[in-house]
Amino acid sequence: MTDAPASSAIREAVSQRLAKRHRAEKRFRAYGVGAIALAVIFLAILLGSIGFQSLGAFTMNTLTLPVTINERQADPRGDGTEESLRRGNYNAIIQDGLRAQFPSVDDRAELRDLFGLYNGVNSASLMRKVVANPSLVGGTTDFTLPLSDDVDLYLKGITVSERFAGRQGALDVVVSDQTVRLESAEPAFADFLTVMRDELIRRADEAAANASRLESAAGAAATRDEREALLSQSRRQAALSVSLRERAEAQGDVVLGTDTPALFLQAEGGVIQVRSVSRDGRIAVGETLLPLQAEGPITAWTEWAVETPSNARRISDRRMVYARALEDRDMVRSGFNTILFTNADSRAPELAGVLGAMIGSILTMLVTMVLAVPIGVGTAIYLEEFAPKNRLTNFIEVNINNLAAVPSIVFGLLGLAIFINLFGLPRSAPLVGGMVLALMTLPTVIISSRAALRAVPPSIREAALGVGASRTQAVFHHVLPLAMPGILTGSIIGLAQALGETAPLLMIGMVAFIADPPTLGLSGFLEPSTVMPVQIYLWSGAAERAFEMRTAAAIITLLSLMIMFNAAAIYLRRRFERRW
Amino acid sequence: MQLSLFTALALLVLTAAGFLLGRRRALAAGQGRAAGLHSLPDYYGYYVAMWTGAPALVLLALYGLFGGMLVNTLALAELERSAEPLGARYESVLEIDPAHAGLRAERDQAEAGRLAAREYADAMFTQHGAESPQMAEAMTDVDGWIAEGERVEAELETRESQLLSQILGAAPDSPQGLAARAGLEYAQLPIERRQLFISDIRALAFGEGMASRDTAELRAAAAVFQPYETTIKWTVCLLAFSIAVIGLARAWRRVAPGFRARNRVEGAISFLLMLSSAIAILTTLGIVMSLLFEAIRFFAAIDWRVHEFLFGTQWSPQIAIRADQIGQSGAFGAVPLFVGTGLITLIAMAVAVPVGLFAAIYLSEYASPGVRAWAKPVLEILAGIPTVVYGFFALLTVGPFLRDFAMLLGYEDAVTQSALSAGLVMGVMIIPFVSSLSDDVINAVPQTLRDGAYAMGATKSEAVRQVVLPAALPGIVGAVLLAVSRAVGETMIVVMAAGQAANLTANPLESVTTITVQIVTLLTGDQEFNSAKTLSAFALGLVLFVMTLMLNIVALRVVQKYREKYD
Repeated sequence: MTDAPASSAIREAVSQRLAKRHRAEKRFRAYGVGAIALAVIFLAILLGSIGFQSLGAFTMNTLTLPVTINERQADPRGDGTEESLRRGNYNAIIQDGLRAQFPSVDDRAELRDLFGLYNGVNSASLMRKVVANPSLVGGTTDFTLPLSDDVDLYLKGITVSERFAGRQGALDVVVSDQTVRLESAEPAFADFLTVMRDELIRRADEAAANASRLESAAGAAATRDEREALLSQSRRQAALSVSLRERAEAQGDVVLGTDTPALFLQAEGGVIQVRSVSRDGRIAVGETLLPLQAEGPITAWTEWAVETPSNARRISDRRMVYARALEDRDMVRSGFNTILFTNADSRAPELAGVLGAMIGSILTMLVTMVLAVPIGVGTAIYLEEFAPKNRLTNFIEVNINNLAAVPSIVFGLLGLAIFINLFGLPRSAPLVGGMVLALMTLPTVIISSRAALRAVPPSIREAALGVGASRTQAVFHHVLPLAMPGILTGSIIGLAQALGETAPLLMIGMVAFIADPPTLGLSGFLEPSTVMPVQIYLWSGAAERAFEMRTAAAIITLLSLMIMFNAAAIYLRRRFERRW
Repeated sequence: MQLSLFTALALLVLTAAGFLLGRRRALAAGQGRAAGLHSLPDYYGYYVAMWTGAPALVLLALYGLFGGMLVNTLALAELERSAEPLGARYESVLEIDPAHAGLRAERDQAEAGRLAAREYADAMFTQHGAESPQMAEAMTDVDGWIAEGERVEAELETRESQLLSQILGAAPDSPQGLAARAGLEYAQLPIERRQLFISDIRALAFGEGMASRDTAELRAAAAVFQPYETTIKWTVCLLAFSIAVIGLARAWRRVAPGFRARNRVEGAISFLLMLSSAIAILTTLGIVMSLLFEAIRFFAAIDWRVHEFLFGTQWSPQIAIRADQIGQSGAFGAVPLFVGTGLITLIAMAVAVPVGLFAAIYLSEYASPGVRAWAKPVLEILAGIPTVVYGFFALLTVGPFLRDFAMLLGYEDAVTQSALSAGLVMGVMIIPFVSSLSDDVINAVPQTLRDGAYAMGATKSEAVRQVVLPAALPGIVGAVLLAVSRAVGETMIVVMAAGQAANLTANPLESVTTITVQIVTLLTGDQEFNSAKTLSAFALGLVLFVMTLMLNIVALRVVQKYREKYD
């Protein structure tokens, strides 16, 4: 082919246009890649952030405490019967066990801090242990219990920032009745003073920045009242900044309070909390939290600086000291959090688990499966193989398509109005939840089953009819078995969807706090229970930080369950799929 | 329970026996050869088993559903009958008691006063407007009369319960007397507390759960319940058993070589199949009926001011307590919810439609099979993640991030629960929905159209933009409409991430509330079922259902119409 001689101007214009068109092409393609990338990035962030949040919940710190189970407390009637053992005061036994570890602790406030290391509910599991083995009474046994959530998070290093530094030198210890005075020839505490000063200056800078931001916001405020309010806030922040800076630069002793970093000194098996330090860093005055085992000057000690001020953390100074002391005595172990999978819900995060929700989910899914799969497959068979093409079948089809797009919460309203208020079925029961979810899943099962039935070639039916089978026989003996893999895949996907559904179950009252897992049996279907996604919803509303992690861990558990379901569906599809 | 369980087991055994007997008889009738029979021997077995098991099991199921209700009705009727003399005495005492009569007169007076004050307030409202001092004065007056009415009502109740306890105390302690007392107590209970009374009696009589209290009266009532329960249970079980035996015998007698057993069995099977497809219709019917019925009750409770529900701009159902508070008239205005729903849906669509559409175009027109093989499952994973997980993510990650970002930009009032965070996350959730539907539609555009465009010298993107997309447009519009309907009905993300304050605002950084959030808020936690507050959730549900239904119908129409063009 020969090119017609085109003028160079036209060629120029065409090639310019062509370049522009090619750029547009590239841009368009980039939008497509960008869209996919956006979805993938979002998925990665979603899974990554939840996985990261959940990490803290899969381990827990347990305390193994030798407890003396004396007869007076464990067996109040003294006859060793189960009834008597059940009335024992096991919390007192645990408390005595803890006090034995810290003989110096006797003040009420100190005891409150000590006993706050664990939740009183743990006494029930000690009771169960003793009731199961009455020979423990009168002896000493090791009892393992989870530490309370605040202590657990502290020991994991999540909520409090602190650092330990070993020091050498000579430190004179002068004990007067309440206070301890530590003196050194060197400026031993100078490092801590810099930490403290940096912290105060950082906060002063922050307050100053706040003040100037508020001031500029006041300039842009719409009404006079608003401007006044912003200006007064700004003035308060500025004053705070000035006072913090003064404190940082002040001469004289540096006083440690609830709004400053805290300093502890570990030496000779004891702990001293420093209350004030002289400006030159040579003298520190404090009080003994745990007594030192030796008298006289100290030559080696650990400086334990806690940067998070005590009014910004949920764990008190003393409780931190007790927790660290127990850890040093090797009584605290960090291990896999089995409680998360063996307990039902609890108000105390360290004792809360997903077992109850898991059983509830299993029971609910059983009901859903038993109802949705046969009814859905039956409907699909009827519509695909038997139904005459008339108005009624048409109406049913439109109906099913619409049901597939009805918001799930509407099914919950249906369940509440019909199953609970009209039929009088119990609220919060897996039976009702399963029925509601079955109605919701039905369209999915029907649509996928119909597709599977339609995929079976007509030759199969015709061959069956040709050798004298009735239509029912042709369908049930030949078409249905061939369509089964597709039907199963669709049903499993529908059930997986139902497993993650929350909203309709909120309507029928499955949001209650339920501390006992339902029975894994016939009676369990009518007992109040909750399911995995609802448990996630409940925990996500809880205030404690530890619940946040447990929510993420529960999500990971639920997602793994759903992945298992979907993997089963994919496996079935791959294994049995047939193409004609 | 034990007895009916046992009966059910016995019926199952009998059914199995029916199958074997029917089969044996058929074989015997055909002299051991199946060829002499009309149907295969198994079908005779199925036929006999069907007549043995089905009617009896249906009866048993009906008993399981309605047996308790029947016992309650009968036994309560007897209790009320035995309480009649006591009730008559109580009525007459009420009639002649001077204190009670005085209180009744006071109540009538308070009612008349309230009506007059209300009328006056209405007049002041039309003359001077809602903010005028006259109006305020009139309202104080109305409130005063209402308080007076409530006080008198409370006194009346106290007096009535005094008289009631006198009457009850005078009745003898014999079983009949106690039962009569229980009957009178039941008759005097307000409707919402009757259910608890009944379940207490049932707990004492049959050990169903724990009774909330245990009195001699309740014990006597339980003793009235027990014989009914026993009689009905035994009757039903015996009846079911005899029906099964009769069915077995009759069906067994009909088994003969010429008997068309297969056709009968197949008829039953297709009846069952038809029944299961009727469930889809029943579900729709159930949804429509329950929503309509409860919504009508709600509108009746707010005096049929439907326009205020649909166009009112103040939503505060928690404070709407008394029927005649004038402040209440604006409390059920659902416009803030509609606006909130619309705002969040808009944000979600702004994310989902472009991203989903471009993803679909890329996957169907550009991507190599290798890319498709991993990109499609990734999108499917996004679709499979439970919405509560998205909600958690929006609440704890996206919300705080957006708040800090807005603060960084100088917007001081930023909150964690905002329309923006809920909308963004919901948009991501809907991406796979849009992309897979659009993918289907784009793939359905015939290749010839593309080829035509290429032949004219179009680049790929030009072919997509100017040929494929216009051809697929109706389908894409349908997909977007379906996505909108999904966004409108989505619950968990907004419950967790959008907040509950009914702000009427278009600012995406403020927290808004939606229809679904309010349904959840109104129906979780303690609720009395007959209050307007609870019923309003059903009215909202009706609005939601109608909205999504219309979107779906339009979308399906559009999609179907489009499909007809190219098939």
